[in-house]
Amino acid sequence: MSNTIWITLLTIAIGTYLIRLLPYLWMARKLERENTQEGIANMPSWLSILGPTMIAAMFGTSLVPGNPSVTTWFATFVGVMMTYLVWRRTRSMGWPIFSGVAVFGVVVVLLG
Amino acid sequence: MSSIAQPLSMTPWKQGVKDAIPLLGGYIPVAISFGLISVQSGFSVLETILISTFIYAGASQFLFVAMVASGAPLWLVIIMTLLINARHVVYGPNLAPYLTKDARWGPLMHGLTDQIFAIAHTRLPQMPSESRIGWYTGAATLAWLSWIGGTALGAIAGDELMQRWPLINEVLPFALPALFFVLIVPRCNNLQWTVTIAGAAASAMLLKVFGFPNIAIPAAALCGALAFYALKFTGKPGAHS
Repeated sequence: MSNTIWITLLTIAIGTYLIRLLPYLWMARKLERENTQEGIANMPSWLSILGPTMIAAMFGTSLVPGNPSVTTWFATFVGVMMTYLVWRRTRSMGWPIFSGVAVFGVVVVLLG
Repeated sequence: MSSIAQPLSMTPWKQGVKDAIPLLGGYIPVAISFGLISVQSGFSVLETILISTFIYAGASQFLFVAMVASGAPLWLVIIMTLLINARHVVYGPNLAPYLTKDARWGPLMHGLTDQIFAIAHTRLPQMPSESRIGWYTGAATLAWLSWIGGTALGAIAGDELMQRWPLINEVLPFALPALFFVLIVPRCNNLQWTVTIAGAAASAMLLKVFGFPNIAIPAAALCGALAFYALKFTGKPGAHS
């Protein structure tokens, strides 16, 4: 890899890090100035709404199978249903995810 | 999402590692693919591993490798990769109210990926404030190391792995939608949030299906937020908790 590509790589790495760091520092200082412990109330409301909607959007994009087909879409539907049913019973993270992946895998193997 | 803090049943970093284990199902297959593609694009094994170590952002790494391999101008490579990562600007401010004053949070922000944000945004409010940095360190370190390890595996033996166990690449990534679902479904406790979450998820899925994967997350999040405000201002019955 040439020196210019190394510099490009480092610029992207530093830029990505700053994209993650600087907005956090801005908000941390803002909350500190306003002297609140759990400063949710002092966050701009649009920002507190964007947090959950970003997670929902990640959920939406991750639903699209790597190899889209009727089988993988059906497996995705069944996997999400299983995840939901186990989550309703356990209200935990591990078992619903494990069950969802297992059922998704079984459907892909059986119908694939 | 409950905001009632409860003591953890194990040390914070161990709990963080445990909570981040589902991420491995999504991280490792994608990292293996990245390692394989990077080596096939002409980068050495060491260079490939260093890309994952330093940039540590999936989509932009694929774009970096593809653009450099195709001979694109390097200034354009920088702009495009940073644009893809621009969605991360909302993550730190959303977590800031839960983070204690500690200089170590600075370097730890390197690990603030989409998935770590999603878990942290849900889990941090549920634990005592003194446990949060340990929990985050455990979760973010496991995710980072799995990304680097998966990349190395892909760069060294990705071709053989994909041929021998093709189902790894097909089945394990379902851990990610399952994880995001578990993180977001507790939010759907009233009509306003249910419509918001469903709107964001559906529009993200459609944007990705119709070939706009890189703008899908920020654009769909904005759609969801618009739905939230539309319901708020129209004052639909049952729209508020």
